[in-house]
Amino acid sequence: MKQFSKLSAPAIMLAAGLFCTSSGVLAEDMVNPYAGREDVVEEGGSLLNQYCSHCHGPWAVQGERPRDLRRLNLRYGDYAMSTFYTTVQEGRPPKGMPPWKGILEDDVIWKIYTFLQTVQVED
Amino acid sequence: MSRVSRTVLTGIFSAALVAGSASAYADKGQWLHYGGNDHSNLRYSELKQINTRNVKRLKVAWMHSLGSLETQESTPLVVGDTMYVTTSTGPRFVFALDAKTGKTKWAHQPEMPNDYFATVCCGLDNRGVAYADGKVFFGRLDAKLVALDAETGKKLWTTTVENYRNGHAITSPPLVYKNLVVTGIAGGEYGIRGFVAAYDQETGEEVWKTYTIPGPGEPGNETWKGDSWKTGAASTWGIGSYDPKLNTVYWSTSNAGPWGGHTRSVDSSDFGNLTNLWTASQLAFDADTGAIKWGYQWTPNDVWDYDGINEAVLYDLKIGGKTVPALMHADRNGFFYVLNRATGELISADQFVTVNWATHVDLETGRPVETANNEKRPQLGKWARNVCPNLIGGKNWSPMAFNPNTGLVYMPVFNMCMDIANKEEEYTPGRFYLASEFNLDMAGATGKHLAEFMAWDPVKKEIAWTIEEDLPFVGGAMTTAGGLVFYGNQHGMLYALNAKTGKVLWEFDVGTGIIQSPMTYSIDGKQYVAVVAGRSKGPPSFFGQIGQKVIDASPEGGILVVFEL
Repeated sequence: MKQFSKLSAPAIMLAAGLFCTSSGVLAEDMVNPYAGREDVVEEGGSLLNQYCSHCHGPWAVQGERPRDLRRLNLRYGDYAMSTFYTTVQEGRPPKGMPPWKGILEDDVIWKIYTFLQTVQVED
Repeated sequence: MSRVSRTVLTGIFSAALVAGSASAYADKGQWLHYGGNDHSNLRYSELKQINTRNVKRLKVAWMHSLGSLETQESTPLVVGDTMYVTTSTGPRFVFALDAKTGKTKWAHQPEMPNDYFATVCCGLDNRGVAYADGKVFFGRLDAKLVALDAETGKKLWTTTVENYRNGHAITSPPLVYKNLVVTGIAGGEYGIRGFVAAYDQETGEEVWKTYTIPGPGEPGNETWKGDSWKTGAASTWGIGSYDPKLNTVYWSTSNAGPWGGHTRSVDSSDFGNLTNLWTASQLAFDADTGAIKWGYQWTPNDVWDYDGINEAVLYDLKIGGKTVPALMHADRNGFFYVLNRATGELISADQFVTVNWATHVDLETGRPVETANNEKRPQLGKWARNVCPNLIGGKNWSPMAFNPNTGLVYMPVFNMCMDIANKEEEYTPGRFYLASEFNLDMAGATGKHLAEFMAWDPVKKEIAWTIEEDLPFVGGAMTTAGGLVFYGNQHGMLYALNAKTGKVLWEFDVGTGIIQSPMTYSIDGKQYVAVVAGRSKGPPSFFGQIGQKVIDASPEGGILVVFEL
């Protein structure tokens, strides 16, 4: 992503120290171009259903805690977005998550993420 | 069981195979194949020491941890006094146990690359081994076939059947007969081209390989649009059957790939001859050459993931005063089929659950008659609503059993429907290739229950009795000459029923879900019942809130429990 996020300076420094995606994109450079866009939520959910639901459940509803995408924010906090993006790109093959780099375009990934942000749970 | 040495036993077993009689059990106390004591997949045992009168006294004899927490789908074999059982995760272990005490004789732990997890669609399972002539054979999720020395567990050979990285896997045990070990292949959600392949038991070298989708110039290739046959699936991830008298191997095939039918046929019920052979079909192969003798397609131009791999149960049924060499099959599409296994002729096809995608199967043409106006056929960008059964099927892989004494088939069935639509999608090797979107988080077709354990009369073509189950993924069935049927469910309950009436005679909570059928064997004149437990982990994720209930019903597990009187 080319755009800069609107994180505070200390947050940027913290993030820069901890995160660097494989494509060399710094976590603080990441921005969801659809953030807050209610008009893409349903499409994002539908894309999730098509590409992810066989493991992560339709509309992200399923029962296996380790792959529950409704717990992204709870689990990764400020790093939810960068962890999500990096994991989709690179996968976690030993845990069953295939790498989607070169298959799912950023546009699709961010629409799915935008949907996911509407279904995050509290503990 | 008469006490004989293993060498003698092995000798008798081989002789029985050479003699080629399916009914000539070497010893009825054993469980020599995945589906029972012979190759017909009856899951029927002639043992009757444990029976309707005394089953209430059944208690635990011994237990064995399987050392893996993924879905446990293995059926143990008992050969002589040894039990061979695999665990989930690919398998993680193959165990040889003393079948009387549970003491480990040897354990084999395959070395597998852990990135195969990403190319297995529906749970990290393994359904067990095959045994022949002092060797144990099993397939792995990284698409390798392995032979071990049954006495020592020493690896004899490993053959790479296919490349797992583009979606191939082996989930079920191979079929063994003569000098061959024959395997199917999984990958119907990854755009593979299915096949059945035979290898030499001694060397692991390929003897024949037959693709389930005909190539250019072969009859049936014209039933595909363009090059779509190359990624058309027709995988063979279930278990084969074998009739030694007819020298015929039976294997059935998966859904067409991808699910979205616009990619490979006409995007409507009016698809003419673009049926996509041999997807969602029963195939009969010459046992020596692998040549296809006949085929029958359950679901032409499948768009519902009516994956047709469910087992073929072979038994000579008396129908209309005549004895028919029957092949029984309960399909995901909701119809229970009886075919003549010598000719492939369709004898009957009847709804055993609520079916609304088709009105009936035309016995003249052999083809299902779809509901009018594409109402229940998903199309590109168009949802078909409330389609029954859903893609998990009227019945899934958990096996049925047939009891010759009652004449009934016992099977776990689903009572569920779905919404489904086709979508555009490009094929990428090693990635899910569905071109489909679906919603399975829907109420049952009838009543509030989502599943049943059913006794079906294949001759009268009607339900004899049925037990309603609240949760889907009820386990497979096993039946005995003691007048019993055994099955389990995702709550971890194991039941023994009266095979005639369905009355529950005994129950036991094993603590984690049961999806595979129990088995039974006898040593030193004493009968045992064994069950492998460990609840389903993959497919429930498709089901939203319903799947969550399945997963909440019991913790994941991995345990083998053996019972005695």
